Amino acid sequence: MSAAPTATGGDGPVPPPRSSVPGGAAEAPRVDGTVTAAPVVDPPPAGPDGEVAWPAAVPVAEPAEPVVAEVQPGRVRWDPAERRARASQSFWTAVVGVPAIFSVLRLGVEAGGELQTTLLLVANVGPVNLLAGFLTTAARLLSTGLVAVFALGAVLAVSADRLPPGARRRPLFARWADITPAWVVLASFLLALITWPLLYLPLLLPAFVAAFQLRPGRLHERVVPRLLLIGALLAGYGWLMLPTLRAAVQQGGEWLVLALIVVPPLLALFIAGPLPGMVIRPLASVTEVAVLATLVWAAVPVISTPVLPLTVTTVGPESGPTEDVRGHVVTTDDVNMVILQERGGVRYVPVDQVRAQVLCPSEEELPRYQLRIHDFHVEDSLLEGMGRRVRPVHRIDAACRTPA
Amino acid sequence: MSSGSSQSRLRSIASTLAVALTLTLAAAAGCDSRKEPELLSVQEKMRETHIYGQSKLRIGVATNEPLMGELRNGQHVGFDVEIARYIAASLGYEGEQRLEFVSVATEDRIPSLQGGTVDLVVSSFSMTEDRKKLVSFAGPYFVTTQEVMVPVRLKDKIRTIEDLRDPAYKVCTSGGSTTEAELEKHQVKTFVVKNVGDCVDGIRKGRYDAVSSDESILAGFLASFPKEFEIVDMPFGTSELLGIGVPIGDPALRDLVAYFLQKSYEQGRDGDASPWQTAYNRTLGPWLKAEKRQPQPLEVPKLVDFDDKAPAK
Repeated sequence: MSAAPTATGGDGPVPPPRSSVPGGAAEAPRVDGTVTAAPVVDPPPAGPDGEVAWPAAVPVAEPAEPVVAEVQPGRVRWDPAERRARASQSFWTAVVGVPAIFSVLRLGVEAGGELQTTLLLVANVGPVNLLAGFLTTAARLLSTGLVAVFALGAVLAVSADRLPPGARRRPLFARWADITPAWVVLASFLLALITWPLLYLPLLLPAFVAAFQLRPGRLHERVVPRLLLIGALLAGYGWLMLPTLRAAVQQGGEWLVLALIVVPPLLALFIAGPLPGMVIRPLASVTEVAVLATLVWAAVPVISTPVLPLTVTTVGPESGPTEDVRGHVVTTDDVNMVILQERGGVRYVPVDQVRAQVLCPSEEELPRYQLRIHDFHVEDSLLEGMGRRVRPVHRIDAACRTPA
Repeated sequence: MSSGSSQSRLRSIASTLAVALTLTLAAAAGCDSRKEPELLSVQEKMRETHIYGQSKLRIGVATNEPLMGELRNGQHVGFDVEIARYIAASLGYEGEQRLEFVSVATEDRIPSLQGGTVDLVVSSFSMTEDRKKLVSFAGPYFVTTQEVMVPVRLKDKIRTIEDLRDPAYKVCTSGGSTTEAELEKHQVKTFVVKNVGDCVDGIRKGRYDAVSSDESILAGFLASFPKEFEIVDMPFGTSELLGIGVPIGDPALRDLVAYFLQKSYEQGRDGDASPWQTAYNRTLGPWLKAEKRQPQPLEVPKLVDFDDKAPAK
C-alpha cells in the first residue's frame, strides 16, 4: 500500500479512478513528509509501488451515494472462494516462511550464539542447503503436527455434525480438516509413514482411520465377512510384529514397546467417532493447546540440531605431530578450511596442513532399544531402514572416538 | 429405536476411550523418544577409562615370539600385534603416531601393567585365577594348549611327560609363565629363562634338550626353524585361555576391550571376515595343526554403539 495518505484520509473510501494512471511520474514534492499541493495540471503522482496517491488539493469527486455501502471497510465478509484463496495463501506462506525462519534461528544456535560466527555461517551456508537440512531433520516433526491436526479434526468434525445446527462455532481443527484437500492429508500421512520411527508407526493406524473416517462398516456390509476381514488384517499385523513382541518380552518387558505395538490396531476399530456432544468442546480446547505445546516442545531439538555434518579433521605439518579438530566444516577455499569446532569457536586451518578428514555420528543417534522388526531397527524410519540396506556396513572411524 | 440409540451411545463412549488412549500413547511415545538410552554407550565408557584424552596408546607386546609378537625389520608383526592393532583402532588409536608398541618380556607383563608403563598387554597372556588378583583380563581371544618342542634328534626319545622327568634331559621354559607352574605340578625340573626364544637358542646351541610353552608360541619357532624342531603332543590337562591384560584399576577399559572382542566374535560367527580371522589367517593359521576359531569372550558388558542399527544380515 502507498504510504501517502489520500486526500480524504487513510480510512476513507478510495477515490474513483481517473482517466489514466501515468507510469513513472515524479514523486510529488514533500515537505516534512507530507504531500504538498501539486499544480492541478500535473498528472497525479504515484506512490512507491505505483499506486496513485492523490494530492490533498485535488478535488475528490464525491459520489451522490456513499461508496461505503459497496466496500464496507473494517469487517469484511468473505465469500467461500475468497476465503479458500486466503487460506491457501496463508498455507503456502507458512510452508515457505516457517522453514526459513527456523533455519535462520538454527544458524544462530549452531554458531553458539556468537554474532560474527552466525554471520560467517549465513555467508557460507546456501539457502537451498539450509532448507534441505531443515527438512531432513524437521520432516518428522512436521508430519506429526499435520497428522495430529487432521486426525483430530476429522473426528471433531464428524462429532460436531451431530450437534444441533448453529449451536456454536465448529472446533478449529474441524474447520482446518474441512478446508484441507484430501491429497494434502494423504501426503502428510505418507510423509509420516516414511519418516516416523518404526516403533511409533502403529500409532499412524488409528490416526489414518480417524482422518479418513474408515469405520469397520466400510469393509463389508455384512457382519460375518466384516469380522473375518478384520481378523485377517490383525493376523497379518501379528505376523509382522510377533518376533519383535517376543524379543521385547525377553528383554525384560519393555512395557511401552508392548503397548505401542499391541494397542493401536485395536483402537483403530473404534476411533472414527462420533464423540458424545459433551466431550467435543473440552477435547477440542485441550488438544489445540496440547498440539501447540508439543510442537513448541519438539521444535527445540530441531532448532538445536546441527546444520552442518560433524567431522574430525586431522591437522598437522608433513612430518610432525598431528591434532584432531572435531567440528563442522563451514567452507574450504584455496587457502583455508574453516571449521566450526564442536566445543565452540572457529578455526582456520591452512589447507596444506589437513592430513585426513572423517565423518562422525553424533551421540543423539545412539539407539535406545535393541529391537528389530524383520531386521529393521525399531528406531529407524522406513527411509533410514531402506538406506541401511543400500549401504549396510558402517564402521565408525577411530578418529571419531577422540575427545572433543 | 432405543437399542439403536444405546448402541450409538456405546459407540461414542468407545470412540472417546479410543481417542483418549491414542493421545495418551502418543504422549508417552513423545516423552520416550526424548529419553536417554538406558544402556551405557561406548562413548560414555570411553570417558571412564584412564586412556581418555591420552594422545597415544601404549600396548605391551612380545618381540621375540615368532607368529605371535615379533620385531621384524623394525616392524611389530604377529597375531598378538594384529589383535592389539584392532583393539587400538576400535578405541580410537589408529596409525603409528597414536599407537606405541612397548616391548614386554614374559615376566614383566604384570609389573608393566601395575606400574603404568603400558595401557594394555597383548602378549600370549594366559588368564589364570592367580593373575586375576593382580590384573584384569578381557578375553579370551585365543585358546591354546601347552606343548613341548624338541629338536629333531630327540623326537623319538622324548614322547611323554615321564620322559621329561628324566634328569638326563634339560627342559627349558620362560619365567612367570603358566607352563612353569604346570611343569612344576608334574614334578618336571625346569631351567627357567626370560623368554621362550632364549630356550630355543639354548637348544640350538646344545644347552637344553626340550622347551615347553603354549602351542601358539612354539608354532612360531617351528615356523622359524621348520627342519630343526618338532612339536610333541603331550597330555597336559589344561587349556590356556589367552586374554588381553588391563590394569586392575580400570574396569571400564576392560569392558571396552571385551566389547570389541565380542564384536569381532559376532562378525566371525555370522560368517563375515572378522578382524580376528584376518589376523589368524595372516599369521598362525598356516602353522597350526588344527583349524581354530575365535573363542567367545567372557563377561562382555552390554553397550550401545552407533552401528547398532545396521542390519544384522
